[in-house]
Amino acid sequence: MRLEIDAERCPGHGRCWDLAPLLVAGDDLGRGVARGEGTVPPEQEATARAARACPERTVVVHG
Amino acid sequence: MTDSSDTPAASGQATTDDVHARLAYERSARPRQYFAARRAASPVDQGLDADQCTLLRRPDVEHALRNWQDYSSDFGGIMGSEEPIIPLNVDPPAHVRYRRLLDPYFAPRKVAELQPAVQRHATDLVDGFVDRGSCDLSAELAVPLPCSTFLSLLGLPLDELDDLVRWKDIMIRPDHVTADPDEALRLQAETAMEIYGRFTAEVTDRRARPRDDLITYLTRAEIDGERLTDSELVRICFLLLAAGLDTVTISLECIFAFLLEHDDARRMVVDEPGSEVDLVEEVLRVETPVQGVLRRTTRDIELGEGVVLPEGATVAIGLASANVDPDGLPGADRVDVRRRDMRNLAFGGGPHRCLGSHLARMELRTVVRTWHDRIPRYSLAPGAEVVWNSSGLRGVDHLPLVWPGGGPA
Repeated sequence: MRLEIDAERCPGHGRCWDLAPLLVAGDDLGRGVARGEGTVPPEQEATARAARACPERTVVVHG
Repeated sequence: MTDSSDTPAASGQATTDDVHARLAYERSARPRQYFAARRAASPVDQGLDADQCTLLRRPDVEHALRNWQDYSSDFGGIMGSEEPIIPLNVDPPAHVRYRRLLDPYFAPRKVAELQPAVQRHATDLVDGFVDRGSCDLSAELAVPLPCSTFLSLLGLPLDELDDLVRWKDIMIRPDHVTADPDEALRLQAETAMEIYGRFTAEVTDRRARPRDDLITYLTRAEIDGERLTDSELVRICFLLLAAGLDTVTISLECIFAFLLEHDDARRMVVDEPGSEVDLVEEVLRVETPVQGVLRRTTRDIELGEGVVLPEGATVAIGLASANVDPDGLPGADRVDVRRRDMRNLAFGGGPHRCLGSHLARMELRTVVRTWHDRIPRYSLAPGAEVVWNSSGLRGVDHLPLVWPGGGPA
């Protein structure tokens, strides 16, 4: 599974890295940045799906 | 609400004012039911104001929040301010430059630095009434807490709290201060001038004596190599006052009103430290204290079902309605304080995403945790009722609570 964030459209709600701190980091503006090129370890798959609660729908999970 | 026997409604002929008052109360007291009924009937709610309609459906709301070209924020000043307040009433590209300046100061890392001060204020306020066994949640906690946070943020002395409360009441709810609409407008404009004067003095002071606070940060900030003007600086401060106080107050009122009705949620917060994070999120979503955000259309916009928003129309983007609209998001109309995966539009979205969302979340989580650690069991005072304020900024002006273990009431 891979997690992707559309940085262009992210205004920094911060929900993704609040919900999935092991998968997403926050930058100085509060925008989400996928850790480790977005690779989701099996035990983090449910967390990755929860991070799709992004109000802007900028978090996409593949696989 | 007025007693119906005092009005023509008693004769079976409801006046427009009666209908208006009833709808406004319904919208603020039972928003999920109110908006579900409206949403099923039309993409827009024309019910409450002739010169303003509300977008109701999730797809329209999400689209409007992002589409600043069609739904502009650049429509002049609000709350008595003659000039547009910054960055609320500014469109991109200027808006983007202001947000780049402000966002880091309101990002979670910076907000975390303010948490100990908020924790201290919350503890002090609860200390003030815990032994009494009763308090007015609104007046004694929900109102003063965000005011003290604001003073800390701007580096102002705490003894200015009473001025702040008076200012924000006149700015946001002038109808509570006077029944005469003309007098309300005059008072709002006069108060805006007073606020601008006060902030101008602070800006001058920080230029001479820099400190570690937001005003000092702003006096040193640059956009494209140029310092902000005094006018820009005070219009940013005005925004923080307009947007940062009442919103947190009503959010706390919504959260505690919710907890009174949902004992399982109260027990979760008491038993599981950390669960206040999910509780705050779900309550903000399903109760949505700030029910809508205003825009002005820049062209005719077709919404379907024959509804067209004309160019130049004032439109509220209905966050409260969209948040619980299951269209495209199954289950959004259900309340579940344990779920973590629901999209929440309580802080808006798109370029104007609430600047203070991280600060607000921190304040709300801190208060909810502090309260429940000290006062785990509580209820509405005997004989009291939860009376909503009939406003699109929905809150409860008085929320008298009691709990065991206190001295004589």
